[in-house]
Amino acid sequence: MTESVLNRIVARRPEHAGTLTVAGLGGTRTMPLAEFHDRARAVAGALRREGFGAGDRVGVLAPNGLEWALLDLACLMIGAQTAGFEPGKFGAPGELVGRYDLAVVFCGGPLDGDTPPGVRPIAEISGYAAETPAALDPVGYGPQECTTVKFTSGSTGVPKGLAATVGSIDSSLHAVQALFEHRPGDNLLVFLPLSLLQQRYWLYSALRWGHDLTLTTYQSVFAVMPAVRPTVVMGVPGFFNAAKQHLESTGQAATALFGDRIRYLWTGSAPADPAVLRFFTDAGLPIFEGYGLNETCIATKNHPGAHRPGSAGKALPGKEVFLDADGVVCVRSDHPVNTAYTYAAPGESERIFKPGGVVRTGDLGRIDDDGFLYVLGRADDVIVLDNGKKIIVRPIEARFRATGAVAECVLFCPQQTELVAVVDPAPGRADARAIAAALGAVNAAGEPDERIARVIVADEPFSVGNGLITAQFKPIRKNIRARYAHRLDDVKEGIHAGSR
Amino acid sequence: MPDLDDLTRRQLAKVLRNAPEPAQIDPDLDLVEAYGLTSLNKVLFLTSVCQAAEVGLDTFTEDDLARMRTLGDVVAALEVHPKKG
Repeated sequence: MTESVLNRIVARRPEHAGTLTVAGLGGTRTMPLAEFHDRARAVAGALRREGFGAGDRVGVLAPNGLEWALLDLACLMIGAQTAGFEPGKFGAPGELVGRYDLAVVFCGGPLDGDTPPGVRPIAEISGYAAETPAALDPVGYGPQECTTVKFTSGSTGVPKGLAATVGSIDSSLHAVQALFEHRPGDNLLVFLPLSLLQQRYWLYSALRWGHDLTLTTYQSVFAVMPAVRPTVVMGVPGFFNAAKQHLESTGQAATALFGDRIRYLWTGSAPADPAVLRFFTDAGLPIFEGYGLNETCIATKNHPGAHRPGSAGKALPGKEVFLDADGVVCVRSDHPVNTAYTYAAPGESERIFKPGGVVRTGDLGRIDDDGFLYVLGRADDVIVLDNGKKIIVRPIEARFRATGAVAECVLFCPQQTELVAVVDPAPGRADARAIAAALGAVNAAGEPDERIARVIVADEPFSVGNGLITAQFKPIRKNIRARYAHRLDDVKEGIHAGSR
Repeated sequence: MPDLDDLTRRQLAKVLRNAPEPAQIDPDLDLVEAYGLTSLNKVLFLTSVCQAAEVGLDTFTEDDLARMRTLGDVVAALEVHPKKG
C-alpha cells in the first residue's frame, strides 16, 4: 500500500490551511488544523505524563465536540487505543471500564460525586489542550496494529466490539480520496456520533489532504448547515428523509437548508429510498449511496466517476464483492478491518469472518454485469411463508414509505401466513384513511404473496430514545417486534387490507 | 412583533402530515409523543420558527431545544429573546 495516512497525520504537523470548525446551537469555533494538531500534542503530552500510553485503551463516552476530536488524535499520538461509546446505548461509565478493559473512560456531561475509579470528565481535555504542545517521539503503526475498537450499531442485537486495523483505515481513506478527491476549499460536514469510526475518518482526511471539516451534532445539524455552507454532507437515509419532508412541506429550495456550495451528499449505513435519491438529484445536489458494514468498512460506493442510481456502487479499490451460493453478499479486503471480533458471543466471529479476509455480510444482493452491487435485504429479514415462498421484506417496506403516508414501515409474519406491517406515521397524527389507501396501493404493486394483510400504527414515533431505531436511524426489528407483539399476534388489530 | 402563538401554530401545521388547521393545534401536547415529530423533524421545525420569528438561532443551546417539549414551551422560549436587530 502507499503511505499510511494515520502515521503521517500523527507525525507531521499540517502545513496546509485546512480548518476545523465545531458548530452547534450554542456557538461556533474555528481553528486551523495546524493549531488543532498542536492542541492534540498538548493533550498527548498530558496523557503521557499521567502514565497513559501504548497498550492502554481509552474509552470515550461523550457527544461530538472538540474534546472528542482532540482526544482521538492525542491517543493516536501516544499509541493508546480508543474505544468510542455512543451516549445512551451503553451502561454506566463505571461498568464500561471493567467490561471493555479500559484504562480510563472520558465522559461528557456532569459526573456525580460517586464517580467510580477510571471515569473522568471529558472537559479535562480542554485544560490539557491549553498546555504547551509536547515534544513526542513519533509513533509508527504497522498495518496489522489496531488503533481503536468500534462497536456495531446494535440494530441486530447486543453491540459487538471490533478492533480496526491501521491497514483497513488507511485503505479506506486512500480509496475514498481516489473516488472523491476532497481538496482545499472543500468543507465536509459531520454530525453522526464520533463513536462511529468512519466519522473520524473525515478528520484524518482533513489533516492529510487539507480540506476543511465542520463537526456538529444531529441536534444542531439542520440549524447550522445553512450558515456553514458545506460542500459535502456525511449523512444517512434518515437524515435525508427528514430534510426531504421538511423541504417539501415548507416549499423551500434545498439550498436554503444545505447552503449553496454542495458538491455532493454522502449516504450510507442503510439503503436509501429511491424517491429520496431522486429528490436531491432533481434539486441539483448529487447524492451517492454506498454499502458497507462495521466488519468491512466501506465496501462499495457510487461516486462521480461511476454512478448507477438504485445500486450501492462498485467495489472500492482494495475490495472485492461477490455473492456466495445463497446469494449472500461477501466482501474480501486486501486489508481487512479484522479477522474476528474482540467482544462478541461465542460463535459470532466464525459466523461472519471467513478465511482469506472475507466477510459474509448476511445481506442478499445481486451484482450487474458492470459490477454494480444491488442490496436486496438482510437474509435474516426474509420471511418464509407457510407455502414456502420467501419474501424479501425490504423492497416492500420501501414501497410503503414511498407512498408518503408513513415515515417508516417494518414487516413481520406473526402467524406465518400473512404479512403484517408496523408503521410509524410521523410527523403528525396518524391518518388512518391515508394509511389504508397506501396499503391498497402497496398491495396492488406487489406479488400476491407480498400482500400485507394489516397495518399496526405505532403508538409513538420510532426514536433512539424509545429504542426502536439506532443512532443512524435504522429500525431495530427485534425491539419493534417485542414492543408490538400483542397487537401483531391479535388478528383483529390494525388497519386491514380492503378497509376504508 | 409577530404574534408568536399564531406564528408557531402555522409553522407546525406546515410540517404535520395531515396539515391541520393551526387553531386546532393544542399548545400543551408533546411535539414528539402527540404530534409525532422525530428528533430531526423537531430541529427543523424549530429552525423554521426561529427564522420566521427573526430570533437568532445562536440564542439557544441544545439543552434549550431538548426542554422545548410543547408548542407552549417554544412560544415561551421565543418570548424572552429579542428579535435580531
